[in-house]
Amino acid sequence: MNFKSKISNLRFPRPVLREWDGTLTSELVRTPGRFGLGQLPAAHQPDAVTGSICGFCSTGCNLTLHLRKGNAVNLTPDPHYPVNLGMACPKGWEALTPLDAPDRGTTPLRHSGGIMQPISWPEALMEFTTRMQAVQTTYGTHAAAFLSTGQITSEEMAFLGTLAKFGMGILHGDGNTRQCMATAVTAYKQSFGFDAPPFTYADFEESDVLVFIGANPCIAHPIMWQRVMRNRRQPEIVVIDPRRTETACAATLHLPVRPKSDLTLFYGLAHEAFCRGAVDHASVSSYAHGLEDYAAFTRSFTRERVLAETGLESADYERLVTLITTGKRVSLWWTMGVNQSHQATRTAQAIINLALITGNIGKPGTGANSITGQCNAMGSRLFSNTTNLLGGHDFTNPNHRAKIATILDIDPSRIPDQNSLAYDQILEAVEDGRIRALWIIATNPAHSWIHQNRFHALREKLNFLVVQDMYPTTETARMADLYLPAAGWGEKEGTFINSERRIGVIRQVRRPPGQALSDFRIFRALADAWGCGSMFARWTSPEAVFQMLKACTTGQPCDITGIRDYNHIEEEGGIQWPFPQEQTRVPSPLPERRLFEDRRFYHPDGKARILFDPPTPVPESPDEDFPFWLLTGRGSSSQWHTGSRTEKSAILRKLHPSDPIVEIHPADVAKIGVEDAEWVRIESRRGAAKARVSITPTIPPRHVFLAMHDHQVNRLTVWAVDPHSRQPAYKCGAVRLSPIRQRIERVLSGQV
Amino acid sequence: MTSTLLDDLLAEQNCLTPVSRFAREHDRKGNNLAGTYRDLIPLSAPGPGEQYAFEVNLDQCSGCKACVAACHSLNGLDDSESWRTVGRLHGGSHGNSIVQTVTTACHHCADPGCANGCPVLAYEKDPATGIVRHLDDQCIGCQYCIMKCPYEVPQYSDRLGIVRKCDMCHGRLSAGEAPACVQACPTSAISIRILPTSTAQIRAKEGIFLPDSPDPRITIPTTQYVSNKPLSADLRAANHAAPTVQPGHGPLVFMLVFTQAGLGLLTASMLVPLDIYGFPAHGGSLQLGFLLTAALLVLVGLIASVLHLGQPLKAWRAFLGWRKSWLSREILVLGAFGAAAIAAAAIPLLTPWFDLPPWAAPASWLAAILTGIAGVFCSAMVYHDTQRVVWRGQRTFIRFFGTTALFALPQVLPISLFLKLLWEARLTFLPNPDSPLPQLTDPQRCARLLRGPLHRWTMARFLIGLTAIAVYFISLPAALLLTLVGELIERSLYFKSGISAGMPGS
Repeated sequence: MNFKSKISNLRFPRPVLREWDGTLTSELVRTPGRFGLGQLPAAHQPDAVTGSICGFCSTGCNLTLHLRKGNAVNLTPDPHYPVNLGMACPKGWEALTPLDAPDRGTTPLRHSGGIMQPISWPEALMEFTTRMQAVQTTYGTHAAAFLSTGQITSEEMAFLGTLAKFGMGILHGDGNTRQCMATAVTAYKQSFGFDAPPFTYADFEESDVLVFIGANPCIAHPIMWQRVMRNRRQPEIVVIDPRRTETACAATLHLPVRPKSDLTLFYGLAHEAFCRGAVDHASVSSYAHGLEDYAAFTRSFTRERVLAETGLESADYERLVTLITTGKRVSLWWTMGVNQSHQATRTAQAIINLALITGNIGKPGTGANSITGQCNAMGSRLFSNTTNLLGGHDFTNPNHRAKIATILDIDPSRIPDQNSLAYDQILEAVEDGRIRALWIIATNPAHSWIHQNRFHALREKLNFLVVQDMYPTTETARMADLYLPAAGWGEKEGTFINSERRIGVIRQVRRPPGQALSDFRIFRALADAWGCGSMFARWTSPEAVFQMLKACTTGQPCDITGIRDYNHIEEEGGIQWPFPQEQTRVPSPLPERRLFEDRRFYHPDGKARILFDPPTPVPESPDEDFPFWLLTGRGSSSQWHTGSRTEKSAILRKLHPSDPIVEIHPADVAKIGVEDAEWVRIESRRGAAKARVSITPTIPPRHVFLAMHDHQVNRLTVWAVDPHSRQPAYKCGAVRLSPIRQRIERVLSGQV
Repeated sequence: MTSTLLDDLLAEQNCLTPVSRFAREHDRKGNNLAGTYRDLIPLSAPGPGEQYAFEVNLDQCSGCKACVAACHSLNGLDDSESWRTVGRLHGGSHGNSIVQTVTTACHHCADPGCANGCPVLAYEKDPATGIVRHLDDQCIGCQYCIMKCPYEVPQYSDRLGIVRKCDMCHGRLSAGEAPACVQACPTSAISIRILPTSTAQIRAKEGIFLPDSPDPRITIPTTQYVSNKPLSADLRAANHAAPTVQPGHGPLVFMLVFTQAGLGLLTASMLVPLDIYGFPAHGGSLQLGFLLTAALLVLVGLIASVLHLGQPLKAWRAFLGWRKSWLSREILVLGAFGAAAIAAAAIPLLTPWFDLPPWAAPASWLAAILTGIAGVFCSAMVYHDTQRVVWRGQRTFIRFFGTTALFALPQVLPISLFLKLLWEARLTFLPNPDSPLPQLTDPQRCARLLRGPLHRWTMARFLIGLTAIAVYFISLPAALLLTLVGELIERSLYFKSGISAGMPGS
């Protein structure tokens, strides 16, 4: 606080002994609000309100934005929206704050002479097209690639995928959804015939047994946990997680499995279900293939084997088996603990298989349910034009290419007939020189990708790196040759799709700083500069694109042709897919709909597939040199991924420890030679990090836990992916720890 | 080529979506969430002997921290300001370990420490509701309430120069609406209940509150933490072993050390045999030097104390709280000490020119010494009365009167300073209990701060102290100057390591 402002704060006293009101008191006066908002700070009373879906996670909460002259000044969660029922987590409450950060990008920047130099948009567009085209001319069209995100709108994702692939001839493009949802996508596609999470949030409330596998919704999805707490059926809540998380503590049964032994556990549960007559063979065979093979395969997963490999107590295992095999409504919910593994797809499918064989599918309070990560991961799964052709179509299918070409009114030969490389393969292609230019949109791999030292070495291999983001200060943007300033959530329009397939709308309620443009408008400008503007003549607004995307879903499981427009979505409180044209005869969609109530799946024969493989060894496990398992995950509800937005809010920063924290078990304290709250060095074969010790019995012995939000963490993680989904295995790896002491402490303990 | 399109795009980007297109028209009064929180607030106002109190159902609190963000947004608070926080307790044994998140705000205590300590009566315990309200325009920004509150509830705003705190959204409650945190909790963990004050007193007496939290007997908090699975007493706050460095309060450091050293020199000026250091005995220059320096130190110290205040122009009301507030008493008594010290220094200077009665000099000296001793006593009581264990009793009195003693008896400075350093070293190097999950006492946590994040200052304190002892044998004034610097660092460490028990943090 400088002296000048201290002086300006001074207030002269009034000639009374006690001042009951005055200018300082009036700062906090609350007055009755309009729009059913209750009392609000007088200074922030809105003159109008609108709604937008939150732009952080996939829960898809609707936030009522308080407007003054069209500009958002505050927000409250929407009480009428079927997802969040008037609640939000702290990230949602603080959604507007990151827009005001002082380090927002306001102009394009070009890296020259070690600094980022502001340039004009025409210069930036010229830079992009000439350098990108130069790479394509010299090294081949496929030498340019893009890495996208689950954080932009469906319309923007579609524009990016279409512009890059059909306009610029780029073949390889993937999203950061590879890091979070690829496993669920692959598992559902293979098992159900389409990437179709079957649940609706009402299932949280209608279940008798909720099993959370590698999921910590108390912290990661608090508003879904709200729905669990609204369950009036006295549910059993089971948490399968090596750590005793907040959710595990709130559960009725916690199964602390060894890392990556969940596949064995679920094969064992299937075996017990078969043994105890909990499988109606005739009924299951009518809707799923592979039942008898699965019964035979799981026979070797005896109780003894499961207990030995998972480290579980016999009584706990028995309790879970009983809960699952006694005809209760069982819902199975998983997230990153399952998805981020070397055998993730088969693990997700073991969960799906259990739901299929015990009949826990297509009924209230059941399902094999993947909780998604990012606000529009589900949109990216349908419309990003990366793994799938627009609308969940297949690039290798000529009929699909023809259908999409017709809808978009383009030459079918512009659509590639082969699939893109996955994220890890794109990076490997950069490493061996096949890819020379990379365009990264709204994601921060220089923090979030595994094995950071290897990732950072890739920069030298790239002839051209473009980063398009809200902030030129992310770890990735700082590496860029060219930075394009993007508008963020709240500064643009479009749609998101949430975990339960609900499409929701976001609205523009803020002006972005300087010359920042929405990703949609950046793509329009780039299309024009590249020379393929005519292909996108109809792509004038997000809502115009939404109409095209609707058309792309015709006849697909995700058919949404019954949706009229954005206003229709808002009037209905969001609309879940599918919502085909013929359903519009019904005046309104039901607010909560689940899939497979008719037990018809999306494979051509209408049957689901029961898929399995024997468990495989983990890519790296503890040994003498690196004796600890490294577990990583979300640190707190106030942090989002690499913190590029959440760290901009002083309130959100207050809600997590300011130092990186490593959790260790009391039994390991003597081994490492540390005291609680001391700093330690954590090393893996790939890199090192520093963190402060938190000694807690909630982590098992010989394991350590680090929150993923700290930029050092992925220096430690191992470059390994699931062979089917190619999703990285963030949740295993071996590390060692050693103390870093303050000088005076070392002197005292005789170490100096 | 693209200039036209780009211009269009940039113009388009700055058009907000027309409100008329989508603004919802359910322009109604009241609160759409009323149905959600109906059971979470009382139907009637508290009766005699009762008050509003927060109740937190720990089984429902999952640690989402929405309450913190909602308090910030719905009350229009500053950037990092919120009147709620969420901490974590953990412990137990493996297989039976637990994490318990704990949401906390002002406990609207039955015997609020903040109100008892406020020198200007800027707190009001509402007689009808029991809500402890802060009068923002009455506050002088002395921050003593922050020290007096064991729960670290009041927060100082640099921008405004005052503290602010939770008012239980009293305006919302009186309009039948729930406070912001109650409205915003996704799992209905927070509610407002009507609590008989006697219940709060009984619970406090029996020590029923929360593990690893302040002793409820100090202020009798009214928040009730309820759970179906009682928390074992050995749970520790997540930040138990990592206390945070507290504010250094620079102006207070100067005020305390200068008034205490001033009192010492004032005493010395009368006690020093003048020729002991080989100074010429005739001039009395050392005596006068001590006296003038003493008055100067006291004056500078008192001026410094004013700089500490966020709203110094309102400080004239500081006498209002004298019945309960040691700070109010300190301000009054040290003010008198300042006047007496100046008089004591002025009288010898004025004697040559004015015909002063012979008792004037000894009387002014005596008045200064007596008010000075009372002032240092009040200073010590200010901190003793905060109930912070690391500031209780001798931990403050030895320091404060120790500073005075060092300067009062410069002849024995090497011995007195050595003893004081030894005493401080004992507190700094308190051993930790030998356990992987130790239950640290507040003095042990304080010592960890001194040896950890504050270790540079700690080393400086001891090095300068020892140097002063050595220099004593060369030059007394230099030794006294070094001692003064050492005491300033000591006092700064006193504040920076002056941890309160506090609610569980993260």
